[in-house]
Amino acid sequence: MRFIDWLDERLAIRQLIKVMMTEYYVPKNINFLWSFGVLIVLMLVILIISGVFLLMYYKPDANLAFDSVNKTIMMDVAYGWIFRHVHAVGASIMFLLLYVHMARGIYYGSFKPPRELVWLTGYVLFVLMSATAFTGYLLPWGQMSYWAAQTITTLFEKIPFIGPDLVIWIRGHFIVEDPTLTRFFALHVVFLPLLLIIVTAVHLYAVRIVGSNNEDGEPIPKEEKKKKGIPFWPVFMSKEFFVMAVFLTFFFFLVFFHYEFAMDPINFIPADKLQTPPHIYPEWYFLAYYEVLRGFFFSQNLGLIAFVLSMFIAMFLPWLDRSPIVSGKHRPLFQIAFWIFVFDFVFLTILGKLPPTGLYAWLGLIGSIIFFAFFFSLPIISRIERKQLENGGKK
Amino acid sequence: MKELKILAILAIIVIITYLGIEPYAKHVMHGTIPPPDFSYLDLPKFKLAGDPSKGRELFKVNCASCHSLKADGIEAGMDKKTAELSFHVVPPDLSNIAAIVEEHFLANFIRDPQNATKNPKFAMPPMGYLTNDQIGDIIAYLKSTAKKELTGKEILHDACTRCHSVKYQKIPVLTSPEHLKTYLGKIPPDLSLMGRAKEHEYLITFINNPQVLLPGTTMPRLGLTQEATEKVVAYLEQIADPHKEEREKIGMWVLIYMLIGVFLTYAWKKKIWKNIH
Ligand code: HEC
Ligand code: HEC
Ligand code: HEM
Repeated sequence: MRFIDWLDERLAIRQLIKVMMTEYYVPKNINFLWSFGVLIVLMLVILIISGVFLLMYYKPDANLAFDSVNKTIMMDVAYGWIFRHVHAVGASIMFLLLYVHMARGIYYGSFKPPRELVWLTGYVLFVLMSATAFTGYLLPWGQMSYWAAQTITTLFEKIPFIGPDLVIWIRGHFIVEDPTLTRFFALHVVFLPLLLIIVTAVHLYAVRIVGSNNEDGEPIPKEEKKKKGIPFWPVFMSKEFFVMAVFLTFFFFLVFFHYEFAMDPINFIPADKLQTPPHIYPEWYFLAYYEVLRGFFFSQNLGLIAFVLSMFIAMFLPWLDRSPIVSGKHRPLFQIAFWIFVFDFVFLTILGKLPPTGLYAWLGLIGSIIFFAFFFSLPIISRIERKQLENGGKK
Repeated sequence: MKELKILAILAIIVIITYLGIEPYAKHVMHGTIPPPDFSYLDLPKFKLAGDPSKGRELFKVNCASCHSLKADGIEAGMDKKTAELSFHVVPPDLSNIAAIVEEHFLANFIRDPQNATKNPKFAMPPMGYLTNDQIGDIIAYLKSTAKKELTGKEILHDACTRCHSVKYQKIPVLTSPEHLKTYLGKIPPDLSLMGRAKEHEYLITFINNPQVLLPGTTMPRLGLTQEATEKVVAYLEQIADPHKEEREKIGMWVLIYMLIGVFLTYAWKKKIWKNIH
């Protein structure tokens, strides 16, 4: 008896391969942006593996953390520096991948029925990944680690009634201190990755059930899947491997030759609670939200509300954009709004790193307003499109 | 081709973002770093010529109470403890100082250290009573004892370690931190990772004249020559990033490996997709 038969009898492995691979059909009219989901899975695996190796030498203690990262791992352990570079650059590139993945979903209308739960679980993943990145950034205990954590945790103070107590509860101390480091450590290496893995499984399951969207947003009934689709294995995956290879080439180029963007120079100075650095800014992937926070410069409370809203508003897209036309490819009005939004996001990201004074403060306000304008324009665009469709239908 | 068009749009957006948050934001935050001035011509010029043997006697009378000159067997008149109590900083050994500090700066420094270093609280007393010729003699003597070729590490040892430690290289600071705090208002930072924390140009200009970049700072201008400054900075950069060479070598191999992967996967994709459509 062959081994595969032996397995098949016990695990129905042939059936599984059919359902999951050779007879699972992916639409034909999709482009390489549909490869990003798999790239994100790949990145997650890379982050987990490099993270485990870092964990072998990292010391979660305010007195030891900085040296354990910058001396032990970066200098003494054989090839320790590779793992640090991979992990730091990987975290940064993860957000690039996530943003492209989300923009793809927005542009082609992948959040619309029947894929609302794919979108929602995806959004939970984005929030979890943000929390993972934020807690992880404190671990090297450098100047920027410390002051970014200090600044962001201070925001919670503004919450009515419970604010001040909440801040102390989060930090485990009146200021960011050793207890903050140890609790962020626990979250970063155990709790959040665990949740990420579980929710990723749910997300992938949801995609399998409703099937992938496509460039034209055209629903594909079960019977036509075979005709209009390509099998996941080997056809789709053969392209996927090519995309992966190109991506990894780019990724390792950054890891070895161009990592500065992911490892801020200021973070090579140990945390000093008595000396505030002249400029405090988060990593690049949070800059846009940070700029929305600062954008409403005349009112801190308004800025805070806008900040929270900006982080979560995209979650409600399935209910904001109810146009019957699914894909942005066939929605000229939506396309205009979409591209304005994309450039506004880039604009906010850049402004987020600049000092919030003079002209930059006003540009930040304008950028923040445009950010929200995109989301509030969607119901209007949907209504216009619905009207057009109805009129077109009558003709 | 459609996919290439999408890739191009993606690349443009990423590049614009990158240029904005890295080079442009850096430029706005730090401004342009002014170039260093190694001539120290803000200090008055005077003629220097001297006799090393006269200089040796003058050194013993005027300097050896505080400074040692081990290359010539001269020990300092006071020990570390006494020096700390008097100056809150240990005076450096001067065996090689003439190979580190620019000559014209050194002459002005001996006459008026507070002015030359731009630190009004600089611990060494001014010696206005020395004539130009005597200063010339002392410098001629210091030059006669100095080694010609110093490494970055040796320069750092003579010029910086009385204030700074370099923990990761196991180079301790010579003065105890409490005294440095009294003297300088703060404990000077450890230099182990400065080569990564600060840009090259920043380090060069900062060491050349700290006041240009941190106005009011208590780190003195030390008057290093261009060569000495560059060597110290090269050393700081090397110790802050000791695996640079290894990284670049491994990086090349990884990229070559990945490129082979790109070709193989492309060939496979072509083969599988031949019969599609
Ligand atoms: C009363 C004690 C004292 C005497 C005398 C003295 N020095 Fe100094 N000197 C110091 C101290 C203290 C420092 C270190 C101060 C600091 O770094 O803040 C110093 C630093 C120096 C430096 C280092 C400056 C640099 O740019 O790195 C030189 C060079 C120097 N002295 C030369 C001399 C010479 C030459 C004489 C004799 C003409 C002399 N000193 C006499 C106390 C003294
Ligand atoms: C007399 C003591 C003294 C000596 C000697 C000295 N430094 Fe410093 N250094 C300081 C102090 C004090 C600071 C802190 C400056 C501040 O933050 O105001 C400092 C800061 C620095 C910094 C950090 C600058 C920054 O932007 O934070 C560097 C780099 C540096 N020193 C390099 C050197 C080098 C290299 C030498 C030797 C060539 C040297 N220092 C010699 C006292 C000294
Ligand atoms: C750890 C994070 C994530 C992983 C591992 C992941 C993984 C995947 C994978 C493998 C696919 C199928 C392939 C593809 O269409 O690209 C997919 C599809 C999808 N994901 Fe994600 N994703 C993540 C985060 C997100 C986020 C943050 C969102 C948006 C808020 C999101 C929304 C979607 C949508 C809408 C689809 C269906 C796309 C379509 O069919 O057109 N995902 N995801």
